[in-house]
Amino acid sequence: MMKILVTVKEVAEVEDDFEIDGLGIDEAYLEYDLNEWDDYAVEEAVQIAEAGDDVEVVSVTIGPERSEETIRMALAKGADRAIRVWDDAFESVDLLDVAAKTRLLAAVVEKEDPDLVLTGVQAADDGFGATGVSVADEVGFEWAAVVNELDLDADGGVANVRRELEGGVEELTEVDLPAVLTIQTGINEPRYASLRGIRQAQRKEIAPMSLDDLGFDASALDSPIALTGMSEPESESDATLFEGDAEETAAQLAEVLREKGVGAQ
Amino acid sequence: MLDYVDLEADLDEEERMIRDTARRFVEEKVKPDIGDHYEAGTFPEELITEMGELGFYAPNLDGYGLPGVGERAYGLLMQELEAGDAGIRSMASVQGALVMYPIHAFGSDEQKERWLPELGTGDAVGCFGLTEPQHGSNPGGMETRAEADGDEYVLNGSKTWITNSPIADVAVVWARETSAEESPIRGFLVETDRDGVTTNKIDDKLSMRASITGEIGLNDVRIPEENVLPGVSGLKGPLSCLTQARFGIAWGAVGSARDCFETAREYATDREQFGGPIARFQIQQEKLAEMATQITTSQLLAYRLADLKERGDLRPEQVSMAKRNNVRMARDQARIAREMLGGNGITTDYSPMRHLSNLETVYTYEGTHDIHTLVLGKDLTGIAAFE
Repeated sequence: MMKILVTVKEVAEVEDDFEIDGLGIDEAYLEYDLNEWDDYAVEEAVQIAEAGDDVEVVSVTIGPERSEETIRMALAKGADRAIRVWDDAFESVDLLDVAAKTRLLAAVVEKEDPDLVLTGVQAADDGFGATGVSVADEVGFEWAAVVNELDLDADGGVANVRRELEGGVEELTEVDLPAVLTIQTGINEPRYASLRGIRQAQRKEIAPMSLDDLGFDASALDSPIALTGMSEPESESDATLFEGDAEETAAQLAEVLREKGVGAQ
Repeated sequence: MLDYVDLEADLDEEERMIRDTARRFVEEKVKPDIGDHYEAGTFPEELITEMGELGFYAPNLDGYGLPGVGERAYGLLMQELEAGDAGIRSMASVQGALVMYPIHAFGSDEQKERWLPELGTGDAVGCFGLTEPQHGSNPGGMETRAEADGDEYVLNGSKTWITNSPIADVAVVWARETSAEESPIRGFLVETDRDGVTTNKIDDKLSMRASITGEIGLNDVRIPEENVLPGVSGLKGPLSCLTQARFGIAWGAVGSARDCFETAREYATDREQFGGPIARFQIQQEKLAEMATQITTSQLLAYRLADLKERGDLRPEQVSMAKRNNVRMARDQARIAREMLGGNGITTDYSPMRHLSNLETVYTYEGTHDIHTLVLGKDLTGIAAFE
C-alpha cells in the first residue's frame, strides 16, 4: 500500500484589464481555477496510481468553501479522497504566508503519513514558490524541487527525478522516500476530467479540517509578513515594428541582432 | 462569456464542472484547427475516441459504462461543443441521440451489450439512416424495405444525408418490414461491412464541411433477425430519436450564436476606425444589444426544455418550437456578427461565417424550419397542414 498526498490550491486568475481595490484586485476581474502546476502534480499522482496496485491518492487544499469545486476537479481526475482545511479564523487573515501554510500542511502530512507528497512548483497568484520545500523541511522528508521527470521505484523506496535548474541545466538525482517533490509544468499531459469522473467525484469524500482538528488555534495563522500595498508595475515596452515582406523584415532583424552582439565571437 | 441573466449561476457543481471541461476541450482541441478542417472538408477524426473517453456520447443515459448525467448538463455539453463547430456537436448528437439512444431504448440486452460500450468510448462509430433521396420531410413515405427470409432479413433501399456513414461501423436503418402485416416501420442494426452495404461520401457540401456525410446503399443485404430493434414499431421509433437530438440542437444553437457574439464583441472593441474602436458607434452597439438579447431569450428556452425533459414532461412539439426558434436565431445573428467583422469576417480566421454556413444545414436537418412551423401549427389548431 502506497499513499500519495497532493497539495492543490485554488488560485485567482486576473483578467487582462482589471482594477485594484485597496490591497486586492476587485472580485469582478477574478476567476478561480486549479493552480496550473498543481494540475500536473495531480496527473503525476494519478498516473502512478494507475500504473501500480494499491496506491491511494489523497488531495489536500487550504481554502474556503468555494474551493471545493477546485478540489472536486482533482477527485474527478482520479484522486481518491480529499481534505479541505478551513476555519472562520482564516476570514480575517489578509495573507497566508509560507510559514503558516507549512504548519498546516505539515500537520496534515503527519496525520496522513504519506510515502510521497507532490506539490506544484509554485502558485500562479501569490507565487512564493516555497511551500513544498518548506513542508519537507518541517516534517523531515527528503525533497526535490522543480521536478520535470519522475520514475518512482516504490519497492526500493526511491524516486529517480530530473530537476530543472537555472540556465537550462538539468540534474538527475535520487531521492529517498518519504519525500516531497515539487512538480514542474510539462512533466506530463494533464487529462480532462471525464463526465464519468465528474459524476463519481460527487460521491467522493472531502473531509473538512479546522485549526482545532490539526491541533492549532488562530495564532497558527500569524505572520511577520504584512501586505502593505498593491500596485501595477510600470511596464516599459520598447517594441520595434519591422515592416515589409519576409526578406526585408529578416534583414532588419539581422541588423538589430548584430548590433546587440549576437553571433560575435 | 455571455450569460446575461446569470442562468449559469444556478448550475450545480457537477453541471459547472461539465461545462468547464467541455469548454476547455473545445478551446484546446477544437478551435486551434477547426478552420483548417472546415476549409479542407475534413473531420478531426482523432477527436472521436477522445470525446468517447471523456464521456461525450449519450452521457444522459445510464448503464453500460455511461455516466448518466442530467439533461441540463447534457444540454450544456451540446452548447459548448457547438461553440466550437456544429460538426463536432453533430458527431456527438448522432452517436448519442440517434444511435445509442434507440439501442438503449428499444434494443435487446444482447444488442445493448454488443454496441453501447463500444459506441460510448468511440471505439465504434454509428450512423442513423432515415432520410431517403425521395423522402425527406415525409419519412413515412420511405421505400427502403426489409423482407423476412427464414431467420434472416433481406434489406433493399437507399438512405442519404447520413452523418458519419462513410466511417460508421454500424447503421441504425429504418425500413418497412414488408413481410409483416401493414408493413410497419422497424429499426435494423446493419453492420456496414456486410455484403451489399455501400456508404458513399457526399463531397460537394458548402455547409457543415467539418463533418462527414454520406449515403447508405442497401442491395440485398442479409442480416440476422437478432439485429431488429425489438422494442419499437412505427414512425414513433425514429421520431423519438429525433426529439432527443433536437433537444441537443436547441442548446447547440445557443453555443454557436454565443461564439459569434463573443467574436464580434471582441473585434468591435479592438478594431479601430476613425480614431477609435468601432464599438463606440451606435450602429455596432445596436447589433450587439440585439444579438445578446436574442441569444439570452433562446438560452432561456433551452433551460426550460431541460427542466421539462428532466421531469419527463417534455412534449415533442415543445422541442420543435425550441429547435425552430433557436436555430433561426443563431443563423440570423451569425450573419450580423459576420457583418461586424467586415472583410476579415469572410476568412477562416474568424468563426462567424463558418457558424453561419453550418447553420444552413442545422436549419434544414432534423426537421426543416418550415416543417417545425407546421408541427406547431398542428399542435395549436388541431389541424395538420401536411397530411
